[in-house]
Amino acid sequence: MLSPYGLDIVESCITCKMRAERIFCDLPTSALQAFEAIKYATAYPKGAVLFVEGQAPRGIFVLCKGRVKLSICATDGKTLILKIAEPGEVLGLSATVSGKPYELTAETIDPCQVNFVKREDFLRFLRDHAEACFKVAEQLSEKYNNACHEVRSLGLSHSAGEKLARLLLEWSSKNGEAAKQEPRLKLALTHEEIAQMIGTSRETVTRLFADLKKRQIVQAKGSTLVIRNKLALRSMATNS
Amino acid sequence: METATIQSCRDCAMRSDRLFCDLPADALAAFDNVKNAASVARGTFLFREGQAARGVFVLCQGRVRISVCSESGKRLTLRTAGPGEVMGLSAVLSGCPHEVSVETVDDCQVATVKRKELLLFLREHREACLQVVNLLSQDLHVAYERVRSVGLGRTRRSRLLSA
Repeated sequence: MLSPYGLDIVESCITCKMRAERIFCDLPTSALQAFEAIKYATAYPKGAVLFVEGQAPRGIFVLCKGRVKLSICATDGKTLILKIAEPGEVLGLSATVSGKPYELTAETIDPCQVNFVKREDFLRFLRDHAEACFKVAEQLSEKYNNACHEVRSLGLSHSAGEKLARLLLEWSSKNGEAAKQEPRLKLALTHEEIAQMIGTSRETVTRLFADLKKRQIVQAKGSTLVIRNKLALRSMATNS
Repeated sequence: METATIQSCRDCAMRSDRLFCDLPADALAAFDNVKNAASVARGTFLFREGQAARGVFVLCQGRVRISVCSESGKRLTLRTAGPGEVMGLSAVLSGCPHEVSVETVDDCQVATVKRKELLLFLREHREACLQVVNLLSQDLHVAYERVRSVGLGRTRRSRLLSA
């Protein structure tokens, strides 16, 4: 069966299998029916830009499938990747709600399905559906917590080594790997992109990885990284 | 100097100037029922990072400092918040521990609401929920500004120094 970018587009929110697992999508049927009427289901290839920092807000982008890189730019062109958004996240939310320009640039790193809702339709939807308004508050709260976490990590960590160790520990605690003795993670980003996440240079990230491998703290198996020595990584992360 | 405690939201003179407080009469009456008015001395922590979220603090008078802390005890201020703002919203709504610490920098008057009661109040009063959404998006805007200055500002400064 032919489908854009190899994606199986999910047309209906109501019958979507992921509905109950995602904060925003887990709405009563009546609200979801109203949402169906205002959303546009679209597919994007990898490397597509959904919106740019500073752009006037057109609306929200609900990420259904795939992942999106969210970044902030300085005036000199230096980029900081704030996070990688996962399916279920509503992008462009605070800008759409406040009417202020988009705070971040959103670029797909996989083929993605995105449900777009125009700003005025979305605001009307929130006014009419209290439960949706509540979910939006929940999502904004998560984003805020995440941003504060970044401020702490960027502003208070002493070294790039500390920040990289923190990032690897965070990534390795997903997908049920946290409890394992030797958790694994898939390296979805290049060294350049990892550098942009922790505010350092690509060369430093490459050097740090080489060092971690030499000390047998991590081991690379293709694009999968295995954490061999969690304890050592943890002490690196807290600079102790 | 002890300032008089503002007991009722409906009688509060500042009501219409403040985002959260500018609610319809029935919502305010309901809020009056779930809140506890309290005075907090300067230099008190309303809550600290990592603590479970037990409720929110609406600032009626006075200012607070919002900050984050490293394991080694180094502190970074995000911003100062003033009357009309609500502390602890994001933790209460997300169910996660507090991500920031909040400390009073003046003698303050606060209205505290327990978590369960706030969630119920927001579900029952749509306008209040919308206000909360607006407040959170403002909070988020400031947080992103801080990320920008902390994550990118340093390199700009270091470039200037080495020029």
